[in-house]
Amino acid sequence: MKQEQKNIDLTQNSQSVLTNTAANSAANWEELDRLEASLTPKSKGRRGGFRIGMSLRRTLGDMVGQIVLTLLSMVWIIPLIYLIVQSFRGEPGAWSPTFFPHEWTLDNYKRLFTQTQFPRWYFNTLWISVVCCIVTSLFVLSVSYAFSRIRFRARRPLMNIMLILGMFPGFMSMSAVYFLLKILLPMNYQSHLSLIIVYCSGAALSYYVSKGFFDTVPRALDEAARIDGASRFRTFVKVILPLSKSIIIYTVLISFIAPWCDYIFVSYIMSGVPDTGLYTVSLGMYSWLEREMIQQYFTTFCAAAVIVALPITALFMWLQKYYVEGVTGGAVKG
Amino acid sequence: MASLSLKHIFKVYDGTVKAVNDFNMEIEDNEFIVFVGPSGCGKSTTLRMIAGLEEITAGELRIDGEVVNDYEPKDRNIAMVFQNYALYPHMSVYENMAFSLRTMHLPQNEIHKKVTEAAEILGITQYLDRKPKALSGGQRQRVALGRAIVRNPKVFLLDEPLSNLDAKLRAAMRAEISRLHKRLNTTFIYVTHDQVEAMTMGTRIVVMKDGFIQQIDTPTNLYDYPDNMFVAGFMGTPQMNFFEGTLSRRGDSVTFSLDCGARIDMPYSAADKIPAGYMDGAKKVVFGVRHGGIRLYDPSAADNGEWSHSKAVVSVVEMLGDESLVYASLDLDDPDSEGGTVILKAHPDTRVARGDIVDISITQRKFHVFDAESGHSIKRRIPEENVIPCDIKDRKLCFEGKGIPLPPALVRPDTEGAEAVMPTSALTLGDGEATATVARTEDVDIGTLYTLTAGSLTLFAIEDGKPKYSVGDTVKFTLDFCKLKIDKCGIAPPHLSNSLSGGLIREKQRGGGYKFFFSVCGAKLIPSKEILEKLFMCKGTGIFRTPLELVFDADAVSAEKVSESNIDSTRLFGTVAGIADYGYIRYAEISLDGARVIAPYDGQVSDRVALQIDGQRITVKDKKIDMIIA
Repeated sequence: MKQEQKNIDLTQNSQSVLTNTAANSAANWEELDRLEASLTPKSKGRRGGFRIGMSLRRTLGDMVGQIVLTLLSMVWIIPLIYLIVQSFRGEPGAWSPTFFPHEWTLDNYKRLFTQTQFPRWYFNTLWISVVCCIVTSLFVLSVSYAFSRIRFRARRPLMNIMLILGMFPGFMSMSAVYFLLKILLPMNYQSHLSLIIVYCSGAALSYYVSKGFFDTVPRALDEAARIDGASRFRTFVKVILPLSKSIIIYTVLISFIAPWCDYIFVSYIMSGVPDTGLYTVSLGMYSWLEREMIQQYFTTFCAAAVIVALPITALFMWLQKYYVEGVTGGAVKG
Repeated sequence: MASLSLKHIFKVYDGTVKAVNDFNMEIEDNEFIVFVGPSGCGKSTTLRMIAGLEEITAGELRIDGEVVNDYEPKDRNIAMVFQNYALYPHMSVYENMAFSLRTMHLPQNEIHKKVTEAAEILGITQYLDRKPKALSGGQRQRVALGRAIVRNPKVFLLDEPLSNLDAKLRAAMRAEISRLHKRLNTTFIYVTHDQVEAMTMGTRIVVMKDGFIQQIDTPTNLYDYPDNMFVAGFMGTPQMNFFEGTLSRRGDSVTFSLDCGARIDMPYSAADKIPAGYMDGAKKVVFGVRHGGIRLYDPSAADNGEWSHSKAVVSVVEMLGDESLVYASLDLDDPDSEGGTVILKAHPDTRVARGDIVDISITQRKFHVFDAESGHSIKRRIPEENVIPCDIKDRKLCFEGKGIPLPPALVRPDTEGAEAVMPTSALTLGDGEATATVARTEDVDIGTLYTLTAGSLTLFAIEDGKPKYSVGDTVKFTLDFCKLKIDKCGIAPPHLSNSLSGGLIREKQRGGGYKFFFSVCGAKLIPSKEILEKLFMCKGTGIFRTPLELVFDADAVSAEKVSESNIDSTRLFGTVAGIADYGYIRYAEISLDGARVIAPYDGQVSDRVALQIDGQRITVKDKKIDMIIA
């Protein structure tokens, strides 16, 4: 009843439109806010609970699931633990009769940084990965934004072609890539530059997840920005990207990991390079596993593997929240 | 502050689906225009075409006289408010409003000034630091309005801005938006599907359905003089009551015989705007009356002789507090009959119950009659035609004891009992051989409508401006014989619109480049530059594969007898098949290769003539989907 009274007052107020002063109008807006607040339904507190049978069944189901998952994760984690403990092993040799070493030491790590080329490889991989990460992310994000927003004639066919191309494993093209690089960079095709080219050139093929994400960002925002006079680039940078943190992080992570972990292309392109200092970690470390080397270098290899895993692990733990959002946000249309 | 002009605007999807069909409208500066219609009627599409968010398939959009079809939204000087607000979620209210100004690279202090000013107008000053998430729906919508205000646009476009709000808040916001319109002194275009919003806010309303404009008029005119059943049913709640039936006239009284068995009698003067052709007691019509035009019979109320009476049986009574809605049926045997349901408002104290038979009064003033087949109103505010029962005697059109000489084209053997039909505009007051008495004058926005009587005859004439004659005056009038139709004697008005099929072709020039022609009936007409531009803009090179139709008035054609000076490939050649002499003008029907063209021509039958068509006055249509391109 009171609300209705208010409402009538409001309309009466507004009928004397032209005579209203600014102060009067401000009061009117406040009235409007109050009206709206009174109209908004209050939340009802807790929702009605499940019945006992339902909750019991749920608990049992959860328990079974948790047991299975625990078993699985143990299977997953054992090799990891093995790798880590082996990196602290004092006894030399490739093979150790026990899971845990008898003698614990940090010598493997010391040796890694003082007597091997590992620091150089590590740096090589890092800079290649960072460059690739930046370029790839830009490619992927802009391609997927374009596919999501711009309607051009070749859009559908292009999307399909890219999707199908992306389904073939990359190494199928290896020998072709090798010869192409030889044509492209005849002087130094066995270089970091050619690695960067190889890693970045196919980047846009993985547009799919981020396009799915951009599809969920309302087009009305683009249109509002367009009316506000923003160019497509400005809209993308100022409006869309700030709303897409999760997908940006997802893209950055994925595009960092790919070159960081790649072995196949490096081994093919860099094979036979006289200067082993040009190697990336995966290639360099793999050379330690050759028959002549493995006895001497196995524990060093384990230590190197731990160091290589560190940055990625840290990144994931820090960004996992966004990562999950990015993956699911792209998958499910909101 | 801007005027808008929309000419033959079309929106076609995938080359076949027409979302907006021939939208024509002139919008004056400072108007509040509302586009209203059911969902899918093309109202939002039209708005988005004005905004520049959708491409205009064909047609011409002008803002302040400038063609803006190709302009980006930002260059059109418009602002738009979206249904779901479309605020930038990561920016504060202040930044949301400042975004467009920053895009324009305005200095910081100016941005600040504009934003705070707009915030004050909308009462959102205290929320400037908040993110949109922390605001209520109404506040968000105000921020969206603020974002539009800061740009100081010439045209405000609002796309269903209130439909996400609570019903009561909506009523309040409605009033606030009207206030804002008055305060900003800007042209507003507002899209809604809610007829109440349309009625309360618009200075003019555009009612749309299935991509077609149904009617454009002021809210009162839409309510009082709907053009068709759709508009009549869409505007106003509760809905207008419709009854199917037939009409018949007996002397001075007219009877509606409704299909449900009821009869409504009224004097002819209340129904004189209905064309006589519908009064034959056989043609199906729909009788429409709003709830205000039907009431329970009240013996104590003054009648003024303006109410007809009937009986109805009550089906449902809805108590609304300050009034009651009574659902009743004119079919006394069945309270729930489909065809005879009537909704009427009654005093809350009225005690009626289901099954009661009540006396009802039906207004003789504000009722509507529609053609049952087409749904068009046949009791229009400005009647479409005059019907004169007449005889033809001695080369004269005789009615009510007067004779008007017929022009040579219309001379027919003597006939009795014919009926001359002509549009209202064919009757001109002031001069002539016939006379009539002014029975009524009516201001109809575009001029004055005179109702004239001559003997038992009722005639209508429309003149510009204020009434020049008053009731009781005797006035002379003339008839435009070009518009006269007498079926019995085979007299029909000449079809003054010509249409030729053809296509656009190009010819390579020797020096390079192309020349373009319309290829029509073996001739090559040179299109005007503007038309060419529009054709290419709409269809690209696909225009060469599109079958076209050239439409032009008879007056756009100049016909000359063939002589050596006028033989060239840019003219059409034909033979005069017939001449119609209307006294002041002679039209020739000219037959070309498989086509006919009407043109003013002062010569003889079977002359060979050369035709030249004024390129500026040709309308080009896409024949396949019936779309006006240029």
